[in-house]
Amino acid sequence: MPEKPPQVQVTSVPRVQRGWRLFVFYSSALLLTGVVSLLFADLLWRTGWSASRTVLLVLFVILFLLAAVGCMHGVYGFFLRTFGDRCRITNLKNYLGQNIDGISTAVVFPIYNEDSVRVYEGLRATYESLVKTGHLDRFDFFILSDSTDPDKWIEEERRWFDLIRELDALGKIYYRRRLDNESRKSGNIRDFLSAWGRRYRYFMVCDADSIMRGETLVSLVKLMEVHPTTGLIQTVPAIVNAESLFGRTQQFANRLYAPVFIAGLNYWALDLGNYWGHNAIIRTEPFMQFCDLPQLPGQKPFGGQILSHDFVEAALMSRENWEVWFAYDLEGSYEETPQAMIENAQRERRWCQGNLQHSLVLFAKGLRGVSRLHLILGIFGYLAGPLWLAFLLTFNFIYAYQKHTGLSDITVQAFTPYLSALSGTAHALLIFLICMVVIMLPKFLALIDLANDWPRRREFGGLARATTSVVAETVFSTLHAPLLMLWHTRFVVTNILGISVGWATQKRSAEGTTWLFALQRHWGHTLIGLVWGALMWQFEPALFWWFTPVLAGMVLSIPLSVLTSRRRLGARARSAGLFLTPEEIKLPDELLSLRSNMKIHELTDDATPSRAHAGLAEVVLDPYVNAIHVSLLREKQLNPVYAEQFTKFGAGSDRVQKLGEKLLAEGPEKLSASERMLVMSDQRVLVWLHQQAWQRPGETLTPWWRAAILEYSRRD
Amino acid sequence: MESALNAAILPDASGRLAGRPLEEWNGAYAKVENYFHALRIRNKVLLGDLVLRVLERAQRRAPAEPDRSATQIAAEEMERIVTEWFSEVLQSPPTKADNSLSTRGRLALLLADMPGRWQEQFLRPGPWPEEFTSAMREAFLRAGPDFQISKMAPRPLDLGPITTLTNLGRFPYFRMALIWVLFALMLIVVFILTH
Repeated sequence: MPEKPPQVQVTSVPRVQRGWRLFVFYSSALLLTGVVSLLFADLLWRTGWSASRTVLLVLFVILFLLAAVGCMHGVYGFFLRTFGDRCRITNLKNYLGQNIDGISTAVVFPIYNEDSVRVYEGLRATYESLVKTGHLDRFDFFILSDSTDPDKWIEEERRWFDLIRELDALGKIYYRRRLDNESRKSGNIRDFLSAWGRRYRYFMVCDADSIMRGETLVSLVKLMEVHPTTGLIQTVPAIVNAESLFGRTQQFANRLYAPVFIAGLNYWALDLGNYWGHNAIIRTEPFMQFCDLPQLPGQKPFGGQILSHDFVEAALMSRENWEVWFAYDLEGSYEETPQAMIENAQRERRWCQGNLQHSLVLFAKGLRGVSRLHLILGIFGYLAGPLWLAFLLTFNFIYAYQKHTGLSDITVQAFTPYLSALSGTAHALLIFLICMVVIMLPKFLALIDLANDWPRRREFGGLARATTSVVAETVFSTLHAPLLMLWHTRFVVTNILGISVGWATQKRSAEGTTWLFALQRHWGHTLIGLVWGALMWQFEPALFWWFTPVLAGMVLSIPLSVLTSRRRLGARARSAGLFLTPEEIKLPDELLSLRSNMKIHELTDDATPSRAHAGLAEVVLDPYVNAIHVSLLREKQLNPVYAEQFTKFGAGSDRVQKLGEKLLAEGPEKLSASERMLVMSDQRVLVWLHQQAWQRPGETLTPWWRAAILEYSRRD
Repeated sequence: MESALNAAILPDASGRLAGRPLEEWNGAYAKVENYFHALRIRNKVLLGDLVLRVLERAQRRAPAEPDRSATQIAAEEMERIVTEWFSEVLQSPPTKADNSLSTRGRLALLLADMPGRWQEQFLRPGPWPEEFTSAMREAFLRAGPDFQISKMAPRPLDLGPITTLTNLGRFPYFRMALIWVLFALMLIVVFILTH
């Protein structure tokens, strides 16, 4: 007798419900902000009103509103998780028994000069997990490379071939590299869709560090099938594989707090959710029709190509009445996080640029109000930093001005009668405590949520350990927050002024960030902390102590950055039972597969640094790599679009033949980077080079080629 | 025939082989061996045998081309032998126009796992095992399924009056002027706050 598919409770979402939910949610945040802002205004009134106090009040209202919205996400999320949330996409229709025979889905991995070992092992883990579901034949995998480093390009091809051979996945896992990486990731996806999009009803976007459980992939397709008006479903990826102390705190925070926050987010967003750029399934047809991004008018930083494409794509999908949902209760969707504060800031910088650009998209006609809310929250995620800094500086200015002018700081009666009983200090303390509660409440509620769920509690190592971890994470985030404030301020200002801030590649030792690199990146923070602290101490030692959490983060930034990047400390915290997450307590199969394969690579891969232009040497000299590369180039030319690009690029011209001659006679150093790429894009010249490099007598070749040939002839 | 061949490959009284010093043939040997090594022929006996087979052909050709080095002749012979063998195994005639047969052959060797399973078949005259020939002939590398070309067209975003504002950025020195205006505003704000 066939097994009966599991049933889920079916509920429908009336459209009117979203409007009501939006009203209730944001009214709560506004109400809370209104009350506390009134208290704050009263405090300012008591100390004597001035123009600078107006500025302070405005800044307070904005910042508190942001904190209140965050808090409400926690509060609403907590209640929904406690009492049940019927309006989840996984709960609206019975999808588990849905037949997906004949439904084609592409799983795409856009990559750009990534560590191909990690990318491919993530893909392998996902693929193997999908095989176990028995639904492999409904999926194709695509590695969509935009890599501009020739060595990476060749390595990607070689490892792709190894992967398909090992998995017997020829015709299931494909590799494609663009000649021209125009429009970055969104252009990469568009290029894929233009070539193959019509073959697939859905496509699933994965990041270079994504891993998806096979069952989750299948569930997403089933969900899309039972919801024909849904255009996009975003999963909530769990952060995994963190080893450093910083990475593990972020991972812990993500695993413990995110379920509560996202439940709160889903409360008001419902079918007008958002897209985070990866670990999401997308209906191909409407995406192709409506989500191709136009160039924004004007110049950089706001005009030109839309950098953070995901939010805008979700907004465009919603504009055309396609539903966008968060499937926040689907497990088996993973991503990784930066392992150090500096790496994290580098990522923040990219995101900041993209989010600020959304301030222009906000004005696009026809967007849904909820989509605009997503964009606003994204923008203020970065504007909060400079606003907070402005608040602190204004506060300091008022204090210094008062001191300097010798004005009285004796407080008068509050205009709210029952507050007059409080002294000015008690009044200030009350506001401070309310702010702290608003900021900390979601964390506390996440802990209560954990306490209510016995199996989940064990997945975090028990309630006591989870509570200790929350306290430790709070201490760390308190120290980290002022640094983020300074970083975000810098990113916002430089972006608005259109100044490109060059960031050197992270200099990491095997253990993490080096002291020298941390010094280069944080000396400014330390100096600001010291000068600020000294000035405050001079003005008023009592005030100085109130500011110590902010100043400590700045002054201690260098050791904090170095020490939290240490894997050793991450491991020590783990053995002490700190920051444990469900995936650390019980490693899922797909992550186990990833980890063991990465270990094998670590033990077996040649650790010696490769020679300069190793990719070029490999593609010319290795008979098999040359054959793979040339075959891929030949096949690509079957696409008229690519063929045109090849011609435009100059491949196939006599110039490339001359460059090939020069390459053999004078070595790769004599060619520019673009010339080397051109040679590597010309299949005819590459076949010729392979032949010539092996046929010509050694004395007619440059020492570079002779050394490379010698290396190949000794290779095991 | 046998004696003629031996005569060709044995050094003469002056120590020269096919009109060239032994050292030159040593270089040619290394060149051919290196290439077969790059093709992952790891069995030393087989490797030596294949190299000698190529050198035999080169030595037969060498007396007719006194101006060319032994290495050049051997490398050409190696290419010829390999391409001829690909042609036979893949049942595909070599073309002068391009070297697609060589590429296809090498790819087929890899896909059929010649280095792992069929080393002894490499350059061996036929007939070959059925499994080997079918693996070689069916070898084809695909980067993607058949193209289904379509074109995505971006739909412009109507930003309303903001578009006009963004166009201001095109005026020369606009940004500089904007920074000065902001600076002046800041001074005014500071003045208001302090008075």
